[in-house]
Amino acid sequence: MSVADRRDRGAILALTGPAYLWLTATIFLPLSAMLYVSFLDKSPLVPQPASFTLKHYEAFLAKPVYPQLMLWSLELGALVTVFCLLIGYPAALALAKVVKGRWREALFLLVVLPFWSNALVRTFSWTMVLRPGGLADQAIHVVAPGAPALDILYSYPAVVIGLVHSYLPYMILTCYISLQAIDDSVIEAARSLGARPWHLLRRVIFPMSLPGVLAGSALIFVPAVGSFMEPRILGGTKGAALGMAIEEQFTVTANWPFGGALSFVMLAAVLLICLALYPVARRRMEGL
Amino acid sequence: MQSLGARLLTGYLWLVLLFLYVPILVMAAMGFNASPLYALPFDFDLIWYRELAGNAKLINAGINSVGIAVANTLIATALGTMAALAFARYQFRGKTVLQLLLFPPVAIPWLVIGTAMLVFFYWIGIKRGLVAILLGHVALSLPYVIVVVGARLATFPRAVEEAAATLGATPWQTFRRITAPILAPGVIGGALFAFAVSFDQFVISYFLAPPGTTTLPVEIYGAIRKGFTPEINAISTIIIVVSMGVLLLTARFYRFGGEK
Amino acid sequence: MSEVNVIDAVKRYDSVVALGGVSLRFAEGQLFGLLGPSGSGKTTLLRAIAGFVTLDRGRVLIDGQDIGGVPVHARNIGMMFQNYALFPHMSVAENVAFGLEVRNLPKSEVQARVKDALGMVRLTGLEARRPKQLSGGQQQRVALARALVTRPKVLLLDEPLGALDKHLRQEMQIELRRIQRAVGITTIFVTHDQEEALTLSDRIAIFEAGKIVQEGPPMEVYERPRSKFAAGFLGEANFLTGRVEAISGGCATVALDVGGQAQCALETAAAGQAVTLALRPEKIGFAPAAAGETPGPNQVRGRVTDVVFSGNSTTYRVAVGEQTMTLFRQNLTGSAIAPGADVLLSWSGDHLVAVTP
Repeated sequence: MSVADRRDRGAILALTGPAYLWLTATIFLPLSAMLYVSFLDKSPLVPQPASFTLKHYEAFLAKPVYPQLMLWSLELGALVTVFCLLIGYPAALALAKVVKGRWREALFLLVVLPFWSNALVRTFSWTMVLRPGGLADQAIHVVAPGAPALDILYSYPAVVIGLVHSYLPYMILTCYISLQAIDDSVIEAARSLGARPWHLLRRVIFPMSLPGVLAGSALIFVPAVGSFMEPRILGGTKGAALGMAIEEQFTVTANWPFGGALSFVMLAAVLLICLALYPVARRRMEGL
Repeated sequence: MQSLGARLLTGYLWLVLLFLYVPILVMAAMGFNASPLYALPFDFDLIWYRELAGNAKLINAGINSVGIAVANTLIATALGTMAALAFARYQFRGKTVLQLLLFPPVAIPWLVIGTAMLVFFYWIGIKRGLVAILLGHVALSLPYVIVVVGARLATFPRAVEEAAATLGATPWQTFRRITAPILAPGVIGGALFAFAVSFDQFVISYFLAPPGTTTLPVEIYGAIRKGFTPEINAISTIIIVVSMGVLLLTARFYRFGGEK
Repeated sequence: MSEVNVIDAVKRYDSVVALGGVSLRFAEGQLFGLLGPSGSGKTTLLRAIAGFVTLDRGRVLIDGQDIGGVPVHARNIGMMFQNYALFPHMSVAENVAFGLEVRNLPKSEVQARVKDALGMVRLTGLEARRPKQLSGGQQQRVALARALVTRPKVLLLDEPLGALDKHLRQEMQIELRRIQRAVGITTIFVTHDQEEALTLSDRIAIFEAGKIVQEGPPMEVYERPRSKFAAGFLGEANFLTGRVEAISGGCATVALDVGGQAQCALETAAAGQAVTLALRPEKIGFAPAAAGETPGPNQVRGRVTDVVFSGNSTTYRVAVGEQTMTLFRQNLTGSAIAPGADVLLSWSGDHLVAVTP
């Protein structure tokens, strides 16, 4: 790689310009616009001029339902992340350290494939499984014929299951990449020093795979907090998420400023959480 | 030969895979069941696929989805490959910032991005429609293309370009005969990724689609909200098969998981 | 066959001086080795000749013409890269043909010359293989054929034998010399391996920190190093420090710091002057010392601390005063001297070389 000099600057600009212009126009400017709109007292859809106000942010705090929704969404995000970690980490471990050769590639592909297919469709597929008369119901009745009909669809657990199913491959992917990078000889050294499996995992493998764990967590937590499609499809009326409230502002009530305010409050909350955990994460990952 | 722990882990892996695929398989299976109420016993029938063929709305949405995905692939791959080349070849001030800026499209909930696009496009006069959707899809695809092509560029043997130069090839000849062919698999991998991202994209399309003209996922969502019918299973199965097919193709061109 | 001249080459990267004013003449048909530790500037010079590096000051001339502004692809040089840089998506034949195709030569001629080139490096029959399918040694031959088939004016080699194992390296050393002699092309190669430099070169230049420390035929640079660095980098050397006691007729007597005296020819020396003398390990003879035997001039007494057997020779480490001296002895006789033995080391005054510290 060469250090860029004057002649190269033209090339660099030409190469990166189009992509970043596109991103500016479609991501960064819109986000700024949204921020701006959230301070307007009238929706841009209305012809009258609007003026600066904080009332939307105040509204968030004023009615207890919104902070409650926020809390629930954060909780949902955390729950989904934790489950993805608990379920996904051992799978990633198996893939990275136990399975060898061609199987590894094939299985890895199988794990990642669903993630890249349509999330909507996958969410829908869970309704097939979870609804009364669906697969889960049938399975339970095979084992315990006298049990009551499964009524799990349109409930919080269903939403969690659907979200975990959606984002699990992400966690497996990031953990796998981290785990795979751990030199086998480090593990062998630990074992030769007398470390038994649990110790090996807790004090050697897991700490060394922390970057993957954290990357997966961050990439799952944020979208999960902002999800609205899964709560709506799998939660029905019982599904309550901030994401749904935001979505409504743009499709039902056409209260864009309020929707914008809610979005940024959510972003702020998520950002605060990430920033709070960042120093801890940084310290834990020293030397990796 | 393997320890008990290793075998348990492997078994566990298969369980996880089961968890990932069973719902999809069930959904696909129900699309071939004659009963409109998903009632068992299973009665194989292609009736729902026949219904699909007559469902103009879904078919139009499908055509839109494919059209947008193709356009998205072309644009995102071109723009993304260029940017990846710049990152791989040069070291310059602001490079890290640019690379960090690739995170927001991926990390910020698409809900926020989609609604923000809605607001901004309205302001600058871009109406909701296929163009708006395309704008959004490319933005989301770019980071993935840049990362995929970038990874391929990272293992690109730079010295071969120098070798070509010493053998008398002009920069253009070097690019045409050496750089491009070696880069091709990575670029194709990035392109297929871009296709998948666009084809499966729901949230952005949802906000930017006007009534009447939508993409397939948005149309399906609308259908789900009205009530479940196996027609939805049929079209969903088709979508999944297409997406997975594209992804399998990608895997041929781009080795996942760091395997060399 | 071309002559290459480098005049006063200077190259700086930020605050690091990669080349600090280097001038060299590479005669026609010569095999010239640039030797030095990493970062000493040798690779920078090679790449400047190739055209990948633009000098801040100084000129590079090929056959008297300044090629400063000429782009790489117009310089008509052949280059062999450290990791061979074969085109992975092309076959062996296509790799070798590339330079000719770029010059738009007719197909028949391309085919004929590729055949000859592969024959010259003894790879006939492997035309259709891909680089991946070749061994390291074979890949290197392909790289060589590819560089030479275009009949360049100069051949540049970047660490040509570094990636090979010992046997292969020795084999390739002979091959390289043979091919170079047959083609007669001016060849410049870069290496940090002193053995490689000694065996391959007609002439060597030793680099240190961007400057040339010594230049000349290998034997001369080896037997008559001018500095401690040159003596230590090219082979092993013992350094004996001392003070000149007396001079008579160009022959000086030096009082050694380790004790005893050395007598040798020192051209520029004055009484009382401090000198550092280099002595190569293979030039030292020794024998068990009898008790009470005092060393004469060009002799010192010591105790063997280490004996390392390496097949055709044995290395001895002998403690002499505060210093440890190293000597090699060919294993002609079966008997070795054991560690702990008292020995008398001796050498000829002709083999002492005064070096700058």
